[in-house]
Amino acid sequence: MGDRQPIVEMKGIVKVYSDGTRALNGVDLTVYPGEILGLLGENGAGKTTLMKILFGMLKPTSGKIIVKGEEVQFKSPLDAISMGIGMVHQHFTLVEVFDALHNIILGMEGHGLFSKIDVEGAKKRLQKLMDDLNFQVPLDVPVENLPVGVQQRVEILKMLYRNVDILILDEPTAVLTPIEVEELFQVLRKLKSEGKTIIFISHKLNEVMEITDRVTVIRKGQVIGTVNTKEATPQLLAKMMVGRDVVLRIEKPPKEPGKPILQVKNLWVKGDRGEESVKGLSFEVREGEIFGIAGVEGNGQTELIESITGLRKPEKGEIILNDRDITGRSPKELYDMGMAHIPEDRTNMGLILDMTVTENSILGLQWREKFQRFKGVIYWGKAREHAKELIERFDISAPGTEAPVKSLSGGNQQKLIVAREVSKEPVLIVASQPTRGVDVASTEYIRNYLVKLRNEGKAVLLVSADLDEVLQLSDRMGIMYEGEFMGVVRPEEVTIEEIGMMMGGIRYEELGKARGR
Amino acid sequence: MDVGAIIFLLKTSLMAMVPIVLTSVGAAWSERAGVVSIGYEGVILASAFFGAIFAEISGHASIGLLGGLFVGALFGMLHGFLTVYLKGDHVIPGIGINLLAAGLVPFGIIAYWGTAGQHTLPFTLWHIQIGHNEFSPMIFVTIAIAIVTWWLLFKTPLGLRVRACGENPEAADALGINVEKYRFWSTVYGHALAGLAGAYMSVDWLGLVHKTMSGGRGFIALANMVFSNWNPLVSLIGGWLFGFFDALATWLAPKHIVPEQFIYMLPYIMTLVIVAGIIGKARPPKADGKPYKRE
Amino acid sequence: MKSSGKPGVGEILEKINFKAFVESIIAVAIGFLIGAIILLAFGYDPIKAYTALFEGGLASTENIAATLHYSTPILLTALTFAIGSRTGIFNIGAESSFYFGAIAAIAFTNIWGNLWFGLLMGMVLGALWALPAALLKVYRGVHEVITTIMLNWIGWYFVTWLIVDPYANPSNPIKTIRVPESARLPTIGDTILSWGFIIAVVVAILMYVLLWHTTLGFGMRASGYNQRAARYGGINPKAAIVWSFIIGGITSGLGGAMKIMSEFPGYAISQGGANISGFGFDGIGVSLVGRNHPLGIILSAIFFGMLKAGTSSMQQTGVPLEIVKVIQGIIIITVAVPGLYDLLKKSFRRAA
Repeated sequence: MGDRQPIVEMKGIVKVYSDGTRALNGVDLTVYPGEILGLLGENGAGKTTLMKILFGMLKPTSGKIIVKGEEVQFKSPLDAISMGIGMVHQHFTLVEVFDALHNIILGMEGHGLFSKIDVEGAKKRLQKLMDDLNFQVPLDVPVENLPVGVQQRVEILKMLYRNVDILILDEPTAVLTPIEVEELFQVLRKLKSEGKTIIFISHKLNEVMEITDRVTVIRKGQVIGTVNTKEATPQLLAKMMVGRDVVLRIEKPPKEPGKPILQVKNLWVKGDRGEESVKGLSFEVREGEIFGIAGVEGNGQTELIESITGLRKPEKGEIILNDRDITGRSPKELYDMGMAHIPEDRTNMGLILDMTVTENSILGLQWREKFQRFKGVIYWGKAREHAKELIERFDISAPGTEAPVKSLSGGNQQKLIVAREVSKEPVLIVASQPTRGVDVASTEYIRNYLVKLRNEGKAVLLVSADLDEVLQLSDRMGIMYEGEFMGVVRPEEVTIEEIGMMMGGIRYEELGKARGR
Repeated sequence: MDVGAIIFLLKTSLMAMVPIVLTSVGAAWSERAGVVSIGYEGVILASAFFGAIFAEISGHASIGLLGGLFVGALFGMLHGFLTVYLKGDHVIPGIGINLLAAGLVPFGIIAYWGTAGQHTLPFTLWHIQIGHNEFSPMIFVTIAIAIVTWWLLFKTPLGLRVRACGENPEAADALGINVEKYRFWSTVYGHALAGLAGAYMSVDWLGLVHKTMSGGRGFIALANMVFSNWNPLVSLIGGWLFGFFDALATWLAPKHIVPEQFIYMLPYIMTLVIVAGIIGKARPPKADGKPYKRE
Repeated sequence: MKSSGKPGVGEILEKINFKAFVESIIAVAIGFLIGAIILLAFGYDPIKAYTALFEGGLASTENIAATLHYSTPILLTALTFAIGSRTGIFNIGAESSFYFGAIAAIAFTNIWGNLWFGLLMGMVLGALWALPAALLKVYRGVHEVITTIMLNWIGWYFVTWLIVDPYANPSNPIKTIRVPESARLPTIGDTILSWGFIIAVVVAILMYVLLWHTTLGFGMRASGYNQRAARYGGINPKAAIVWSFIIGGITSGLGGAMKIMSEFPGYAISQGGANISGFGFDGIGVSLVGRNHPLGIILSAIFFGMLKAGTSSMQQTGVPLEIVKVIQGIIIITVAVPGLYDLLKKSFRRAA
């Protein structure tokens, strides 16, 4: 490694968004030709942002990029591709009705706009490419009829067809079955033997251990370090990925949790693409406790919460609220039965941005007797009073009750949602990413409030990609990975490294084994 | 039914299919790129009027056809500007264009020719004689345009990119295709063909300009477009079918077998049935009618 | 407006978005401006024309009565579009619901010559005709622009057959049989204005109350803004859409029925359905200029009604009446420009 010339160098990359968020804080990255480099980190660490900059989709606020010895400034992905850099995203950009062949040659058909596409010629070239690399893709089937793993290969071929020699893959195994993952790894090894360089973004420890040559770990917009995979252990990587110095714990009086309010039994839920997102999950949330679900996003948390809150029908299993079966019931029924839901998407689900604060304050409450003058007619006077109450109680900063809710800041919007949900006087509060994108003061307020609810005897189900938050607030926590809990533990009974390992796919029972090597 | 009647029906349906096929082909191309318009009715009417003026001023009917094409293209640019660049709603400008034409044409007829509601052209396009019947060259032009458009759409890079813009503009954008440019010029093309259709009606087929002469053909063309699953070649067949029903109804009317209105209804019922997926599956381009904004 | 508990002028002004109001005014101004240019180009006098137009619409009680009379049907069809728009759908089926309302009036008042029965059946048929588009949208995901356009034509041909066959007037077969005297809408004073106008305004106010003061209306507006959030809020967006179509069908059906039942002196549908066609489309324009708000629509409908009423006076100055349609068309195209107000502000700032 000593005198190899890097193929890509990123120096001092800083990325600050227009709203002030600092996504990257001076990142240095070195990539050597012919290697598979893993880029490891939690949600929001900055790995995708960094790669989007390398691929020309985002401009860095400052910093240098050197590709193959030349300093470059990419204006668009096309520039990156012309320098030999390609990227396969988590969400595919394929034209579903086209077959693989046409998806691959789109934009690079090879000759004039008005002349016939040489389908045979393209087929021959692609076939040769596929034979050389030893992976096949049916070329004349509309891609919408192909399994997800094969679609991903089409995306990879799209880049290879454009002669990229540096391929960036963003969380490529997120949508694959275990068999497809193995097939993908075979492809990557073959590409490597052909001299291609691969950057593999992931949060999955075992996969990173298996396929990469070196691993660079990023946390909160900074590089923590780079190690040779051969010399690393999952424990070491986990510590780098997640390592905390101090976890500020909120004062929680010890509470004897009461009876189970929410019971989930052997729940199976399918995602939008028909994949198994939740696989036989069972757990319960009791009165007077906060049950936290930790884990990197995309491991089934969204689908789990949707099935509990009536927004998605589960395949199999039971959900019980206060001893009543609520499996598959509608949100309205659930609200009437004592559930409240702080959704993970505040701007696209929790609030209707174009409506006023008052209107949003009764969203999910509009048919309650208190807000009806007579059946079916809304009593806006009472609604306005309600909105004012919420504003006062939660110290929300708003221009007025009739202001459109989009004029509130993110933190205040979130406080409004929390205030509203709490005003439903629920027995169970489901809180999903409750402080994402929220300012520090509001974050503290919301977290303290959740603890208050727990102290009052409510049941709180918390889902968060922010590990700190889960550790601070939970009495018990489940670490979710690929639709299952790797372990259900009390935060004080495990170390940070163990949690990191579970987040990376190692079960609690196997933690001992992974500690050695 | 004697031979004469059959020939009459066939001939009338061929003449009648021209404006419908041309407009459907244009509309299909535009929607394949992702731009919806319901203003073709107005474009047909307006370009029938302007085409006639061009023809009379120049002394040649064919100049009238070109004039119609040109006027149609102008409307296409207006629509394209509103929908593609200003990211406005796709349906509302069409409503405005229809209304505008409905007013502009009768106004223009009086203002320009001094006659109320209708004006007959002193000459029309030359026709080809075959036996006792004459056929307009526009029939063949129409067939050619349908075939060429189909070929461009499905066999060339141009068509591939246009279709990508209509199905998944993000994918096209990521590969360096300028979605806005393709969408804009596609809707110009679509409206230009509708303009040609209108000019054909005044300068060729009917030889007159009448304030309601578009007669719903702009909407029939939209029905044909859906019915033909956004395929220009199939539009030829569908357009002929619509023209056939039109001719059939005219022929049947004096015989009072079935009320003519029920025959006129058929194409629309057929389209509804198809689009409801009861028979076959007509599926619009995925990003049809959605303004594309780059993230 | 008693049920909403003291809204007052303040609340109404809050509900009417100032920017939107200004944009409509600008669109109207641009329409008249371009209309004037066209008039000049053809040698007409726009000042004379416009003066006659406005006088014809407003200058005497008779003229005002005519204005309000013409505004009635388009007020109701505009509501159809507006309710659809507020629920997030593009319902252009007002045209055919209007036809069915009209023919229902003819048919059913001749069974029982009762005014309210006629109006009721107009609403019922208008609503029923709106159902196919609603169901196709909700159960098969078919875009309502296509279905409503097709249904408009199917309805048109069906009704024109009804006009010349079952319901033709034996003594004057190009028109239908007439609405019996007992079922005709009484006029206000000595004018052509009937109580239909009052009914239409009341319906508009009811629509306002529905959309902004009922749980159903809240659900419809929420679905129109954001279906996901609506579902989260316990609302059923599919049900909201179906209701939107039904209520839209009711208002247009009512419009059609009232048109015929106030059609002095014939009280019948005339040849080829000439006196019942085009109101649905006109309604769309009225709704757009009224910013899809029932109260704005009242103003907008009166404005468009005024244009219609003033047309014959304007014609007397020698100007072809179709210029009014031209102006309307330009107004609608201008209103279609998103963010018109901000756009103009920006371009004036750049020019300065």
